[in-house]
Amino acid sequence: MNAFTVLTDSTSVTRPIFQDIHLIGRTIFYVLAAAATVTFLYGWWRRVAKYRRGRSAGRGATVRSALFANPFSGVHARRDTSSVGVIAANATVSRRHLATGVAHFMVFWGFIALFIGTVILTIDYDILRLSTKLLLGHEISFFYGTFYLTYSVILDTMGLAAVLGLAYLGVRRALIKPPQLNYARAEDPPGGYSRAKMVAGDWLFVWGLGLILLTGFFVEVFRIRAENFPPFEVWSPVGWLGARLVQALGLPASTSLGVHTFFWWVHALLALAFVAYIPFSKALHILADGVNLLAHDKSGTRSLPAPAPVEHIGYQKIEDFTWKELLDFDSCTKCGRCHAVCPARAAGAPLSPRDLILDLRQWVDTQSSGVTLLDREQRPEATGPLSPNGDTKIAGSVISTRTLWSCTTCMACVEACPVGIEHVSTIVQLRRGLVDSGDMDPTLQKALQNLAQQGNSFGKSARMRARWTKGLDFTIKDARKEQVKYLWFVGDYASFDDRLQENSRALARLLHTAGVDFGILYEDERNAGNDVRRVGEEGLFELLADHNVNALQAAHFEEIFTTDPHSLNTLRNEYPERGASYKVWHYTELLAHLVETGAIPVEPLNWRVTYHDPCYLARYNSVIEAPRRILRALGCELVEMPRNGANTFCCGAGGGRIWMDDSYLTERPSENRIREAAELDVNYFVVSCPKDVTMYSDAAKTTGHDGALMVQDITQLVAAAVRVPELVGAAVVASGAADAAAPAAPSPTPTAAPSPGASAPSSGGESPARDVAPPTIADEPSDPTAVSPERSASTDTEPAKGPARPTDGPP
Amino acid sequence: MRIVVPMKAVPDLVEEIELTSDGSGIDREYLKFVLNEWDDQALEEALLVKEAGDAEVIAVGLDSDPDIEQALYAALAKGADKAVKLTGAGEAPDTHARAEMLAGWLGDQGADLVITGVQSPDDLDGQLPPALGARMGLPHVSVVTSIEAGADAGTVRVRQEFSGGRSTELSVTLPAVVGLQAARQSPRYAPISRIRQMMQAGGIEEAPLSPASGTSGLRVRRMYAPESTGHAEMLTGSPDEVAAKIVELLSARGLVKG
Repeated sequence: MNAFTVLTDSTSVTRPIFQDIHLIGRTIFYVLAAAATVTFLYGWWRRVAKYRRGRSAGRGATVRSALFANPFSGVHARRDTSSVGVIAANATVSRRHLATGVAHFMVFWGFIALFIGTVILTIDYDILRLSTKLLLGHEISFFYGTFYLTYSVILDTMGLAAVLGLAYLGVRRALIKPPQLNYARAEDPPGGYSRAKMVAGDWLFVWGLGLILLTGFFVEVFRIRAENFPPFEVWSPVGWLGARLVQALGLPASTSLGVHTFFWWVHALLALAFVAYIPFSKALHILADGVNLLAHDKSGTRSLPAPAPVEHIGYQKIEDFTWKELLDFDSCTKCGRCHAVCPARAAGAPLSPRDLILDLRQWVDTQSSGVTLLDREQRPEATGPLSPNGDTKIAGSVISTRTLWSCTTCMACVEACPVGIEHVSTIVQLRRGLVDSGDMDPTLQKALQNLAQQGNSFGKSARMRARWTKGLDFTIKDARKEQVKYLWFVGDYASFDDRLQENSRALARLLHTAGVDFGILYEDERNAGNDVRRVGEEGLFELLADHNVNALQAAHFEEIFTTDPHSLNTLRNEYPERGASYKVWHYTELLAHLVETGAIPVEPLNWRVTYHDPCYLARYNSVIEAPRRILRALGCELVEMPRNGANTFCCGAGGGRIWMDDSYLTERPSENRIREAAELDVNYFVVSCPKDVTMYSDAAKTTGHDGALMVQDITQLVAAAVRVPELVGAAVVASGAADAAAPAAPSPTPTAAPSPGASAPSSGGESPARDVAPPTIADEPSDPTAVSPERSASTDTEPAKGPARPTDGPP
Repeated sequence: MRIVVPMKAVPDLVEEIELTSDGSGIDREYLKFVLNEWDDQALEEALLVKEAGDAEVIAVGLDSDPDIEQALYAALAKGADKAVKLTGAGEAPDTHARAEMLAGWLGDQGADLVITGVQSPDDLDGQLPPALGARMGLPHVSVVTSIEAGADAGTVRVRQEFSGGRSTELSVTLPAVVGLQAARQSPRYAPISRIRQMMQAGGIEEAPLSPASGTSGLRVRRMYAPESTGHAEMLTGSPDEVAAKIVELLSARGLVKG
């Protein structure tokens, strides 16, 4: 390598451009290149024209912020919005799919590098050299020497990376065959269908890219062989090794030039054809998905968009969709991650988020004489999304009514989607049309009528809302009349469901004992409306929310906590724009603080438990750590289910599903979940959502696991772990006896179950007394010194801010 | 065809209903009133008739019923062409007074068909439809489960339900009064946003009742809350033994002479 310095200074250290391609050939090439560019621009213009038919999505600020304000946001941990960094790192592609993500990253950057390489060459050859030749009479070029060698080694490496990445993706598709790449629909349309063209489009894409890469390397290989190995070409290592190989195989330099010319043309034609093909195919995702990610905002699912400001209610034509929704449809690469995680799909419902997006895409495509070539489903008859009829109902015909009603709005699809598609808000927009035409389950209709009349889905009198408090031997403060620190927004299920009222009382006793200053709204509370909104009954949501907002504004409190994660979601994220902006906690956040600070003194339970994250708590609102902090503080051994945290699996109750018929499902999501937990050899299935208690208690019974697996609200665990000082314990027994006549006193379940490790009797052998916080110590926090701010601060690892300390001492 | 649907708001039965201090009626002050569910069925059937052919549906209520506006707006939201609130109905008229008031107003409405609920929680005997028919001098059919166009012009075909799953089909000459038991399909949903639209549009017409109307000659002296006790004694044994025990129990209470 002594010649290196000399060589790198030399203008001879370069490679010829258009070697052996003469005037006619070059002319043909430029004409074809122009044609390819025009075709590309035409296709792209057609696509953009289609998106421009959509409504404003209100995502301009999102895109600007993702581009400029925070270019690296969300690279490490999932954020609501995306950024240039997320796209550059392919972070969304590799989330939970590392190998695929790495392979995609290699192809992604490989092609970007090769594209930049081509642009550099164009700048040098077609601009710099041409202009200097015309203006100065001699050519000036920078494509030689050190620049050329650097260029060569980078492009060779990146090209090789792209080949390897693509090879893995091809092998994965052809041999590994992960289930989510099976394009079988969740439900067959009548008359059947075929997605063979979609598969053909995928393979054309894979092979197209592969052949462009391989022929590119062949051009290099045969050029180096034809030039008889100029020593500096070792800086094109792949080409060099290939050239050595063909030399060893006996190819002479003279023949090699012809072979080089052949591959040059194949490579050029393939590359130009590919450029032209991009807007007409799956390859569109190269352009569309970056934009879609920049415009993506998960908070648009947490806080749903208002109905479209149009004459009719619900979506009826292309113009009713936002441009982001239209772009969502085109962005789908059929990776199937949403299909794999969807609880409705797993339960045998006709809904698959993937099919929903593909159907809407095909419908929009059909209606707008779209330009997609292969990526289409075929049916013997043009039904549903294939129907050219402009009057086809989107909600009801393009997407079946049952498909739309199957969604639990658990947001697993949005969470899983690597390209920022927001399925849930689109589903709700379509549901709004169904509600307007009354196309719903009778049970749902009944629930909505109950909600409209009495403000709760149970159809019970609104004045009975606080009746559950009757079983307490203290009175919960009335936040309408006196100042409290926390307003407890109890929610329908925790207030009205017979099975859950004892839970609510247990929580009330714990908080009361710990000296937390809290109150409730009594009969002025209404259903918060989260699920009503997700059902698509926007008017009723407004009615309920406005009532609650008025009640909240008239009450005297500082912060809110809720029992129900669904209520939490709408109070936290949707009420502020309606005029009620408060700090909203979940009760697990409050309990975590109380047990960690010792405000609720506990003894280790040593139970072996698993914990189910509610979708609206973990995935929607990032409250993942608080319940786990409680379990740790209670000395429980937490065995995680495979699907946990933000990747949790829905119980099937959300989005109003709890009010609908589920008899058509083959396996309820809750049963699927219980079976997942049953694999773990744990005794307790701990939940932190009132609806989960009912859903999973039922599922444990129907799956036959109710003997081995106890479904318990986390409140009951805390109640069971409460440390009862000896003297106070005796008082508890007495007061428990006095209370025996009260309707809800015979309590319950937690200690009646086998409780491994909790065998030490706490108060004179009266073990059932343990699961109720002793009412007699209510006025005296048993260990006020344990409330230490430092400790509270240091243990607050909650991503979404730990709760403020409830009280600073005895009331 | 012109169809009038008289509607009534009744206390929501999920509420705890209490009597007034003098015991002459129920305490309406804190009660939530909802549309009588049979009237909801009547409206649904009227709308189905409208959808099957050419008909105009008019919902009508009395201003004596709390929250009746809500029911009238909901009727408009569901597709009624007009909603009328009759004013001057006084306080809590009984069924006969109600029938007289409605008949007085209906007299010059030119209705071909009056469809109302066959009964209501405070008219379990189902007196309103026959009383209306009698006062208007029109044919009347009650316990009806469907109304469809008749074979001859000026008639409708109705299905009347009997106990034991039997029913009969009748041809009724119009104009007529029908007491509806159940519509052919369950009542449709009225989206709140549509009800709100109707409220904003202020679509309820008001019409005064003639001052003389609405006297039934009845006076409630005292109402009684039903006594509820929690005792149930299960009798076991052969039919003969059980029968003997029943006779024994009844005679012990002096209800039969043993």
